[in-house]
Amino acid sequence: MEFFTKANIDFLGKRRVFLVLSLVFNIVGILVTAMFGLEYGIDFEGGTEIAVQIQPPPEVGEIRAAIGAAGFHGAEIKSYGRPNQFLIRVKESSGQTEPSTAILTALRERFQDRQLTLLKSDKVGPKIGAEMRLNAAIAVVISIVAILLYIAFRFEFIYGLGATVALVHDVIVAISAIAIVHHLGLLRIEVNQSVLAALLTVVGFSVNDTVIIFDRIRENRERHKGMNLIKLMNLSINETLSRTINTVLTVVLVLLALLILGGEVLQGFAFTMLVSILTGTYSSIYIASAFVIWFLEKVRKVDLEGEYRRLKELERQAAVQT
Amino acid sequence: MPPKRLRQLWGKWALLILPLGLGLYILYPTYRAWTLENRKAALQASGDSVQLAEFDQLYGAALQNAKQNALKLGLDLRGGMYVTLEVDVVKLLEEAAEREAIDDLFRQVLEATRQEAERSDEPVLSIFLRHFDRIARPQGRSLISYYDVGDLREISEEKILERLQRNIDDAINQAQEVIRQRVDKYGVAEANIQKQGTRRLVLELPGVTNEAEMRQLLQTTARLEFKLVRNNEEAVRAFSAIDQYLKRQRSGQSHSLTPPDTLQAQPAAPDTLQSDTVRSTSDTTTDPYAGLSDEERQRRFKEDFPFTSLFVTYYIQNERFVPVDYRRGEFPEGEYFFQIPKANLAEFETILARPDVQRLIPAEYEVALSAKPDERLQRQGYEIYTLYVLKREPELTGDVITDARATFDPTTHAPIVLMDMNTEGAERWARITGANVGKKIAIVLDGRVYSAPVVQTKITGGRSQITGMSSVQEAHLLEIVLKAGALKAPVKIIEERIVGPSLGEDSIRRGLLASVVAFLLVVLFMVGYYTAGGAVAVFALLVNVVLILALLSAFKGTLTLPGIAGIILTMGMAVDANILIFERIREELRRGRSLRTAVDEGHKRALSAILDSNITTFITGLILYFFGTGPIQGFAITLMIGILTTLFTALIVARAFIEILMAYDIHLTYGLPRKWLVAPTS
Repeated sequence: MEFFTKANIDFLGKRRVFLVLSLVFNIVGILVTAMFGLEYGIDFEGGTEIAVQIQPPPEVGEIRAAIGAAGFHGAEIKSYGRPNQFLIRVKESSGQTEPSTAILTALRERFQDRQLTLLKSDKVGPKIGAEMRLNAAIAVVISIVAILLYIAFRFEFIYGLGATVALVHDVIVAISAIAIVHHLGLLRIEVNQSVLAALLTVVGFSVNDTVIIFDRIRENRERHKGMNLIKLMNLSINETLSRTINTVLTVVLVLLALLILGGEVLQGFAFTMLVSILTGTYSSIYIASAFVIWFLEKVRKVDLEGEYRRLKELERQAAVQT
Repeated sequence: MPPKRLRQLWGKWALLILPLGLGLYILYPTYRAWTLENRKAALQASGDSVQLAEFDQLYGAALQNAKQNALKLGLDLRGGMYVTLEVDVVKLLEEAAEREAIDDLFRQVLEATRQEAERSDEPVLSIFLRHFDRIARPQGRSLISYYDVGDLREISEEKILERLQRNIDDAINQAQEVIRQRVDKYGVAEANIQKQGTRRLVLELPGVTNEAEMRQLLQTTARLEFKLVRNNEEAVRAFSAIDQYLKRQRSGQSHSLTPPDTLQAQPAAPDTLQSDTVRSTSDTTTDPYAGLSDEERQRRFKEDFPFTSLFVTYYIQNERFVPVDYRRGEFPEGEYFFQIPKANLAEFETILARPDVQRLIPAEYEVALSAKPDERLQRQGYEIYTLYVLKREPELTGDVITDARATFDPTTHAPIVLMDMNTEGAERWARITGANVGKKIAIVLDGRVYSAPVVQTKITGGRSQITGMSSVQEAHLLEIVLKAGALKAPVKIIEERIVGPSLGEDSIRRGLLASVVAFLLVVLFMVGYYTAGGAVAVFALLVNVVLILALLSAFKGTLTLPGIAGIILTMGMAVDANILIFERIREELRRGRSLRTAVDEGHKRALSAILDSNITTFITGLILYFFGTGPIQGFAITLMIGILTTLFTALIVARAFIEILMAYDIHLTYGLPRKWLVAPTS
């Protein structure tokens, strides 16, 4: 089977449109995220959260009444995976008695005649939550810097910069996607440790495509000495296109399996990865390479575009003649 | 199959078979533990106790062994409790202060400190100082008003601060020791307790779901006491009485006999019991079990002495240890010594916990175990604990201790521990030691005996020196224990996660299903697109997954739910390396190269891209490992192991496979139409 035998798509010809589009997308993403807000899990927020299974399932209102009577009024109650499973979250993480015990006791009393199982219970103190937020931010920044340095070391500094810009783009898109999907109620995704894990993995993976294209550019530069850079990049992207699509396909397939079958706990992880793999592929073509061209033209004042246009004109004429 | 080729290719065959074989070999205990557990669970469910006992006898050891080498599951998969404890420095500052000196002003300072410390990262001691300066100092107080350092001549604020800081620093070690003992006692199998940083303790307690009880266990402070050792004939007689009582009870006569209330209350009781045993031994020949098989002898012995057969009793005669035979029933006055193997501890403690058995032990006595197995015997591979009979009423409690320090004897260079007491304690200590020269005093923390040194002389002045430690570690442990007297190490739970067993099972099921489906999807795609070449990649992927699990198991890592996600992700990314190579081979073929050159070039040229892309992912894995906790670290580890195994399987195993196929003239098309294939020139 073959998808693209002789792909020759002019990816970078329309790079300005895509760059502007991505920029707009990112800004809107940031605004939307700021507006809708992200929902932090208790890993980052602190508080107490318990998941129970009650058979036969009661109304959410009944649960609220039961734990309200125990003194927990601002509780958040949601369904958890299955119709008879519930997630209850309160802000308190300490007090006279442990909130989790108090809630559990209240529920056991209220639903004496039903079968109640504790699925899980998490308590995170406010200090730990704050620490984890800080650690998460540090981790993301350090990994981005580490990638920048590695690519700069293996290729050239501007390439490292291009990869990093693409990376930041992907992270922003992933976070905005979480905010939007959560806000619209399509998937209940809160930002917790596993979403952070996904974001960091994205930092590693989304740069994969970029690296593979850059690697091909490096190789082609040797093979076609003196070729116009835009043309060279186009050629490299086209040559690796088949691989890019196949890899993305396999990863998307396994992530879909994980998203659909992996259960509540891994949903946020799978979703974040899925979004970022797709944007990572896009950004490796339209952001990373396009940024390098933009940088060379604007900062180093190399007229790549004019040369490229002239070359294309020549090619067109040659094609007409034959 | 021509043997010549086999000889040329044996290295490649080995690359194909060895990693898979080795991986499966490492994973065999996991499989074995799983099947045995299932069989045991089925038996337990059926309630057939005879078959269950038979199963335990036949497979108990095998199961234990398999479990030890099996892949460990994280708490999120097997269910259990994960707790982070932190030293409660505010509480510690409160407890370290002189009780009588604490006034409202001091309480205000503590409250303000507590509130700020809830959220701030600043060291609690400096927060405390700040509030102290603000609230208490203007009222004419200084730290000296609240804290006592012992020696009045060298008292100063700096000294007090230095002491407080040291106490804070030591607190976590102390809490670790106490909690380890308690968790052991509670019977949590495979509990993991680790220090995190300098203030925190992370506990992983598989299978624990009774969170309220566990919390209680973790947050109560320990009690240090000095108790006189009473390993005497009275104690031995009580043990013998327990034997008699249990034996009679087991042979069905218990209803007609009432046990003597206590041996103390009825001085006649031991005598009658004793004459009882004397008669019974004199009835029989010298060896009552003569002519019986060893097994039968053992069984009968255990039947006759249900309690004392659990441990070994020695009579100390002129510093020699003479084993005591309970059959003789006469126990000379003097000192005894008891040792019990770890295997018998559970049964011993169950018997001892019975209230009817407790009544046979003199009311003023209690039985305690050593905190650790004997170190000298342990080096030889035996886990033997020492039993102590102690005077129940403590001579002294640990709060009189002001300091303890492990050091070396200046002349003998043996490890010793120095212990200081306050004035009040020193006076009482002098009286106690004076009255008990030549006897043993046990140092008991939380009911466990850490050391039972012999009193050499009357100790006046409050400074004692404890010798006889077999190692520096032992001395250091004793220092920590003694400090528990000087200072309680209050801890509070700052993070707690409980996963119920049903959620864990559910997660395993879902994770497994997602993995299988993901694998099948990858197989479908790879074989569909690259045909036979894809099949080679799928074989490499299979080896890859086996190796990830095997390495995880070999390095004693734990498999968590995010870890499973990591493996699934690796399945998707691992074939990327093969895809890169295959695409490269296709390109070379299209350029008209021979298959041989195409394969070589494809591998060579894809290498740098494969390495670069995997190294970047590895970097993020490393960062994730250092910044994540618990399950996320599990993900980071599987991710990193996955990258290493991917490089190995995609670059080496798959290559070996392709080379073998080529050697047998089986030419893969990598999904390209046949027309591109140039006949091999070689």
